[in-house]
Amino acid sequence: MVEVFAVASGKGGTGKTTSTVALGMALADRYDVTVVDADTGMANLLFHAGLSDAETTLHDVLAADAPVEAATYDRFGMTVVPCGTSLDGFRDADPGRLRDVVAALAEDTDIILLDSPPALDSRTAVLPIVLADRIVVVLQPTIPAISDGLKVQEYATTYDTDVAGLLFNKVRESESIEQVSEKTERYFDGPTLASVPESERAREARRAGRPLLAHAPECEAATAYRAAAETLTVQNGTAADAADRFQSAVIPESL
Amino acid sequence: MKLPRGRLDKSRVVTDPRDTLADVLDRELTGYAVFESQKTLLLDGEGRGVITFTDGVPALAYHTGTDRGGPPALADLAIPGPYHVSLYALDAADLESAHEAADLRVPPGMPAERLGGDPALADSTRRAAPDERLSTTDDEATATESRPGEQSAVEAFLDDAEKIEAIKQQARSEARERAQEWDF
Repeated sequence: MVEVFAVASGKGGTGKTTSTVALGMALADRYDVTVVDADTGMANLLFHAGLSDAETTLHDVLAADAPVEAATYDRFGMTVVPCGTSLDGFRDADPGRLRDVVAALAEDTDIILLDSPPALDSRTAVLPIVLADRIVVVLQPTIPAISDGLKVQEYATTYDTDVAGLLFNKVRESESIEQVSEKTERYFDGPTLASVPESERAREARRAGRPLLAHAPECEAATAYRAAAETLTVQNGTAADAADRFQSAVIPESL
Repeated sequence: MKLPRGRLDKSRVVTDPRDTLADVLDRELTGYAVFESQKTLLLDGEGRGVITFTDGVPALAYHTGTDRGGPPALADLAIPGPYHVSLYALDAADLESAHEAADLRVPPGMPAERLGGDPALADSTRRAAPDERLSTTDDEATATESRPGEQSAVEAFLDDAEKIEAIKQQARSEARERAQEWDF
């Protein structure tokens, strides 16, 4: 079985990478999880997963300089595919190859999480959403983040990608999150998976180059991420389904 | 709200009003910004939003389309960009009489929170604000509607089903147009 999720937000700064890694670690208790840094222009997953000195990254794979196996690392119970941060690496990478990368990884894992660029302004930024079966939308409970999240959902569903759920992140106590999440759900096609409180532990973890769930597994934010992973129902698909899906996703019949 | 025209400092299209607020704070600009949505398609997209600043810290907000001032004007402005933004520089003295309008006042950090969606920028803005701007009559606690039982601006936004449907429709039509352009 395999299901591909794009972890997406329309806006930067929502804690998307922290969320991708935390969800990945929480899901790894039950599934074989592969996490891919698909934000090839502004990669930072490597800094969250202690891979800042990784020699071979997704950039090399997208430039056809290395096979995907050379850019996979076993970390924290997951398979991690980091992306490099150099401008040259970005320039030489052909984002179109991401589809083949995801299809190859799908052969040998249960869940793929694509950490997606926080933008909708280019083909490269939108491609992970197109390649995914479903998206997890990371939101802060603010008007700009919610309206950008709505845009992400509409792009996704236009390209035949469904919504798995919403993750409210960096929630402050004053933000009456229960009412906000209930009202937000009216406009999204998926449920709220969890509300993750703003967390000093998350900032510490990032500085330490470790995932939050490894750095402070018992903190409130880590607990919320585990609850989100519990709520997420993973759908059974086969690698062949995924390959078919990529065919139709890249050229949706309805368009 | 009547303001002298001032000296045009910058005029550009921005996708995120956060960038304008951060730039103004960074440069400690005194003057005002005019935000005009590029998408007249949206219901509240007509009209312009004006925010005044003293040394980079927001003071007043007003929306010409809805004729509302203060925090409600920020809610009117909180629609997806891009916006066309013009920044005008003024002398502090030119803003004195405008700044007497208490009903147009916004707490220093509120534009960064409501328009920029950036609590960290809101914190830096509050740190840059003079003490009297953070007094009890004009602080976030009384004006951010975070008191129990009172509805927040985010909830008010979420109650506006028509506005949200317009945002969704616009995104869908953009996505369809771009599918061809991007060869999806």
